Amino acid sequence: MLGLYIHIPFCSAICNYCNFNRGLFDAALKPPYVAALLTEIARAGDGEAADTIYFGGGTPSLLEPSDVAAIISACRQSWAVAPDAEVTLEANPETVTPERLAGFRAAGVNRLSVGVQSFRDEELRRLSRLHSVDTAVAAVGAARAAGFDNVSVDLMMWLPQQSVGEWLESVDALVALDPGHASMYLLEIYPNAPLRDAMARGRWSVAPDDDAAEMYVSGLERMDKAGYVQYEISNVARPGRESRHNLKYWTDGEWLGFGCGAHSTRGGVRWNNIAATGDYIAAVTVGGQVAGRRILSGAERVEEALFMGLRLASGLDVARVRGRYGIALWDEYGGDLEPFVDAGLLVYDGRSLRMTRAGMLLANDIMAVFIRSTVR
Amino acid sequence: MDQAHIRNFSIIAHIDHGKSTLADRFLEITGALQAREMEAQVLDAMDLERERGITIKAHPVRLNYTATSGEQYVLNLIDTPGHVDFSYEVTRSLAACEGALLLVDAAQGVEAQTLANAYLAVENNLEIIPVINKIDLPSAQPEECLRQIEDIIGLDSSGALLASAKEGTGVVEILEAVVARIHPPAGDREAPLKALIFDSWFDPYRGVVIVVRVIDGVLRTRAKIRLMATKQDFEVDALGVFSPKATPVDELSVGEVGFIVANIKVVADAKIGDTVTETARQPPAPFPGFKELKPMVFAGLYPVESHQYSELREALEKLRLNDASFFYEPETSAALGFGFRCGFLGLLHMEIVQERLEREYNMDLVTTAPGVLYRVTTTDGEVHEIDSPAKLPDAGRIAKLEEPVITSMILTPSEFVGPILKLCQDKRGVQKKLEYLKSDRVLITYELPFNEVVMDFYDRLKTISRGYASLDYHVTGYWESPLVKMDILVNAEPVDALSIIVHRDAAYDRGRALASKMRELIPRQMFEIAIQASIGNRVIARESVKALRKNVLAKCYGGDITRKRKLLEKQKEGKKRMKRVGRVEIPQEAFLAVLKVGTE
Repeated sequence: MLGLYIHIPFCSAICNYCNFNRGLFDAALKPPYVAALLTEIARAGDGEAADTIYFGGGTPSLLEPSDVAAIISACRQSWAVAPDAEVTLEANPETVTPERLAGFRAAGVNRLSVGVQSFRDEELRRLSRLHSVDTAVAAVGAARAAGFDNVSVDLMMWLPQQSVGEWLESVDALVALDPGHASMYLLEIYPNAPLRDAMARGRWSVAPDDDAAEMYVSGLERMDKAGYVQYEISNVARPGRESRHNLKYWTDGEWLGFGCGAHSTRGGVRWNNIAATGDYIAAVTVGGQVAGRRILSGAERVEEALFMGLRLASGLDVARVRGRYGIALWDEYGGDLEPFVDAGLLVYDGRSLRMTRAGMLLANDIMAVFIRSTVR
Repeated sequence: MDQAHIRNFSIIAHIDHGKSTLADRFLEITGALQAREMEAQVLDAMDLERERGITIKAHPVRLNYTATSGEQYVLNLIDTPGHVDFSYEVTRSLAACEGALLLVDAAQGVEAQTLANAYLAVENNLEIIPVINKIDLPSAQPEECLRQIEDIIGLDSSGALLASAKEGTGVVEILEAVVARIHPPAGDREAPLKALIFDSWFDPYRGVVIVVRVIDGVLRTRAKIRLMATKQDFEVDALGVFSPKATPVDELSVGEVGFIVANIKVVADAKIGDTVTETARQPPAPFPGFKELKPMVFAGLYPVESHQYSELREALEKLRLNDASFFYEPETSAALGFGFRCGFLGLLHMEIVQERLEREYNMDLVTTAPGVLYRVTTTDGEVHEIDSPAKLPDAGRIAKLEEPVITSMILTPSEFVGPILKLCQDKRGVQKKLEYLKSDRVLITYELPFNEVVMDFYDRLKTISRGYASLDYHVTGYWESPLVKMDILVNAEPVDALSIIVHRDAAYDRGRALASKMRELIPRQMFEIAIQASIGNRVIARESVKALRKNVLAKCYGGDITRKRKLLEKQKEGKKRMKRVGRVEIPQEAFLAVLKVGTE
């Protein structure tokens, strides 16, 4: 089953830590962009079965419900989208009103992923977010009122000036809000992030590495207690509320991405659309290429399936890896993995290979074991 | 050219006192090179030489000079290496001359190498012409320099010349002085051939090129020659002079300087200091003073990637073709795998070889801490030379352990005498002389264990004297010393490449400092790492690197697996630059940490 990803590159303001593909909302640019999306979707359609649609960004909630409705219906025309498909929209708290939420719901969106990031106002200000804690709580309430029973909340830890205790306050507030799903990330401050300057000006710092590890582990422990199940390094859910779309990335699935900078992987071929919004619109309008295609080598596919699959809490299933890729996991990688097992970072019981929480914190070291070829 | 119109001379100077610039002016004035052909410092031909501003090889240049008297002269300028590692080459170059320009930077004054080389020139009975250079500098103090030449070196400064090689002032006067004051070469054209080799190198097209000064007799093409030290015979294919481009000639007669090409395959056959003669008519004795050059500083060189081992061997072979004073043999380290133990004349020589391997041969190297050649007498009475801590016999089998000693001359402004004496004492030195020279300069002579100087002596000397003290030294012998081998253990496994030989009294401090340095250099890994310093079975210092708890956990954006993959590839790349000992990844710098650990 295909997953469909729709990229919306617009934001009301650029967050000081973000390096995703995004730009400031431009009212003049939106109509041609949506038109280009519809054209690209119509051209790509082949009637195959699909069961997820995911609006990511940027800030997809800046679209009008009518735009969203048009895109979803274009998808339904191009593919056999299952009636019970998961349709996710990423939303920023300050962009949603009860009316707009009702509109998104009516357009066919059935899962809302709300970018809350923190339940402490001073932390939100340091991140240059436009919303407050009250706005976020209200947005989640309004989403429920509008008929969204599948709501996810994004939280970030290891924020500037944040202590372990302060992080846990946010976790507790999250639990109190009781969403079906939550993503919990460690903030990564990329080299040229404006946040770095802000930190220098404000003399803010982040807690030591060991505290960051503590935040991760104790935050997840609180979620365990509240009945959530961690199913991936950074994701927890009530049973049945796992993100079906994101699971495609972790289980060597197939997905098509639309819009500027969107990524697609299907049938062993991968492509990334032109990243710049204007260039993307121009290319679609003249019917030109929006992406260069690359055929993945056999080794590359297997390596990626393994390191992505290891992100799941259930880890890699030995029988499935043997069946699908013809690889005896432990024979092939056991020598390199054993030190991690000995260090209590990995568990191998003959049936599956999975990371412990301590291992998840060092996932990059473990996943690198599977990288044997270099792709340029 | 008749003997009376030949002048052979060299320029002796401390580093950066303007030797190469002055040589360039000579080339310009004598028309050896047009100004447009000049690249700054023509004589320092190797890139490395130009970059570091030092001369490594001794180059001769023939200058055709018309004196103000109207007479034509051939001036052979024999450039000399400026660093203590190459002092033997300096000695041999000076032996090929009748005179020397003693170049002193007008702002810096006399330095240790000026002094050391001036003494060598005096020993060789050379006519010395003092030249104060860089008089254009605002900070120039020519009178002070003249006083130092008198007070420190003990030379008559009345005939000293003032010049600015950079601006070209006083340069003609120097050439006139060379003609007027330096003696023409002595020697007998009819005597059996005697030519002194003062340089040789490997040319990929012509084989070994030997540079000689003819002492007696005449050298002709097609002549059958013999190298007296190695007792090997060759036939002369070509003779020539450097003007400065290689220019063929039919003969090199008494007093002349030039090169020989004679189908010699390796530089080791044409040793610097050896005498070239004719096989058929040999003199009763060679030119005196020949010495077999021995490497004094040893270190292990290992490829970062083990599959580069054979490439490294080839590169070393090629370097050795051109550098007979450098030595290597295969060595195996449990920590670093297959590599080579290499011997060098000194630390600079080592750095140069290392840099050439990395630059010209594209090698990625791990270098272990340099050590010196120890002499061990075992209980069975045998004497062994030990060039690596790994080769040191068990303590129970050692009857006597000796280390090489240097005699060092340190020249410093008097205000730094206190800290320098303390440094020398800390380094187990024995004071030989302390001379307060007039003009606020002090000459300190010390005997020091070479081992300590190899460690970090020079850097510290420069630091405590704010760069003002200068150093020159020669290895002068061995003394007995209570030395021990100290090992570093990482997670209980000894890392052979980190073992050092150290004085018993300094072992505790060094061990503690080294263990703590290793703790800084070894990155946190997924388990706790224990670092220990030990002598025999006794642990003398212990440190630990806490286990790493997290690395980056970035959000995987919109199915962009390629980005994630690149991150992991980079991570893997980073690991390659580390050496794995047991389960611990040790970064390359750690193997040199031994050097950087001060004893403060």
